[in-house]
Amino acid sequence: MAFRATRWVLRYRPGQRVVHWIHAAAFFVLFITGLALIWPPLSFLAAGGLSRILHRVAAVVFLLTPVLYALIDFRGLRDLVRDSFTYTREDLEWLKGFPGYFLGRTSHLPPQGRINAGQKIHHALTIISYFTISGSGLVLWLGKGSLGPAGLLIATITHDLSMALMAVLTVGHIYFTFVYDALPAMTTGYVTEEYARMEHSLWLASVPPEPPYVIEVKEAIPEALREHPAPASEEAAG
Amino acid sequence: MARLAMLIDLSRCLGCQACVIACKAGREIPPGERWIEIREVVVGRFPELRGAFVPHRCFHCAEAACVQVCPTRALYKKDGFTVVDFERCTGCGYCAEVCPFGVPRIMDGRVSKCASCLDLVQMGWEPWCVQTCPAGALQCGPREEILTEARTRVAALRDRYPNAQIYGETQMGGLGVILILTEPPEVLGLPPQPQMPPLALWKGGAQPLSLGALVLSVITSGIAFFIARRRHLEENGARKGSEPITPASETRKE
Repeated sequence: MAFRATRWVLRYRPGQRVVHWIHAAAFFVLFITGLALIWPPLSFLAAGGLSRILHRVAAVVFLLTPVLYALIDFRGLRDLVRDSFTYTREDLEWLKGFPGYFLGRTSHLPPQGRINAGQKIHHALTIISYFTISGSGLVLWLGKGSLGPAGLLIATITHDLSMALMAVLTVGHIYFTFVYDALPAMTTGYVTEEYARMEHSLWLASVPPEPPYVIEVKEAIPEALREHPAPASEEAAG
Repeated sequence: MARLAMLIDLSRCLGCQACVIACKAGREIPPGERWIEIREVVVGRFPELRGAFVPHRCFHCAEAACVQVCPTRALYKKDGFTVVDFERCTGCGYCAEVCPFGVPRIMDGRVSKCASCLDLVQMGWEPWCVQTCPAGALQCGPREEILTEARTRVAALRDRYPNAQIYGETQMGGLGVILILTEPPEVLGLPPQPQMPPLALWKGGAQPLSLGALVLSVITSGIAFFIARRRHLEENGARKGSEPITPASETRKE
């Protein structure tokens, strides 16, 4: 029996992954129940008021996730905020190469630390829109009945535009996740060493090369796959 | 159906509240709610008192702020009236915020306002409030006829009420309730020129912009994904080809 070994690098600790998925779930509930209010084909979802209740429940979860993050992994939250608002000359170089990165190339980019310049901007905008969408949402929730037309307009326009920004950021987030096979970082918490070297080589160099930060997984390679990889998978599909 | 309207002649209103009760009973409005309110307005010093019984109820604006702002289209215009599909209402309360007359209210998580008696009118009946008015102050019919009737009545009232005038002909694109006032509107607590809040900014600007940005980003990344994915795998392959093969780098399933 032949084995192959894969080296995996710990990218997100369990607490970070839990916070990420709670935040993501709340976001999508908020997104769909909110979209029902501005996109007429979905407005049947809002009829009757169920989506109103869901929106508020998810809003509380969404609002509290940073607090949860601080409680279970304060270091993660601190690093996130610090890194998102710290920019270097390399970041500028990286951003110049962004069009290539958008279309699947990384070899032309300067080496990056824990998060690259694109992720920094993404995180910074997410943090800012977290405050604008939460603030305007709380105004709409708690101030109902005493806002007047002008107050209602300012709050709803802020809320709408923050939503648009977050939705576009989320589309980009999902896009890059699947272009660069980054999903395992948020499921198992580990990325392959190859991915880490390609996307975050400076960060990889700073990770202690021992478990649980770097682990080696041995997998048995089936005989058929080893000798005739392509025909074997075709047979399996057929 | 033609554009309909109601006539409310304040010179005839006795303030008897019969319309309030007929509306509640006829439309089966739950306790604590009402779609018509009669406010007694008195100004001046005795014995020179002036005033009227002023109805506070939906005036069915042609350009209705509540209809524009309603996210679920529970409020909509039909035959000149602003009608309500209560099943679609989520109780968001935007209508209550923007109504220049402050009419809609949220009761038990739903909007509460006159939803018109179009069902009765279609059967050839009159709305409950019109049927029951003992003073002949209320009428319902095609808006042009109602306006003609209002002009005739105002002309006849000028001797007794020099300030007699029509209210609702032009306000908010023309109201679906034509009022015959005995005093200027500001005296009776009615806004002389109610304004439409700048909702176009939101409904016509921010919302399409938001949806447009979202759709555009989905389409762009959807198309770019296939290009980026292919180029990324190519680059990975090239990197592997140039590196000496070691167990650690020979791990990726392509």
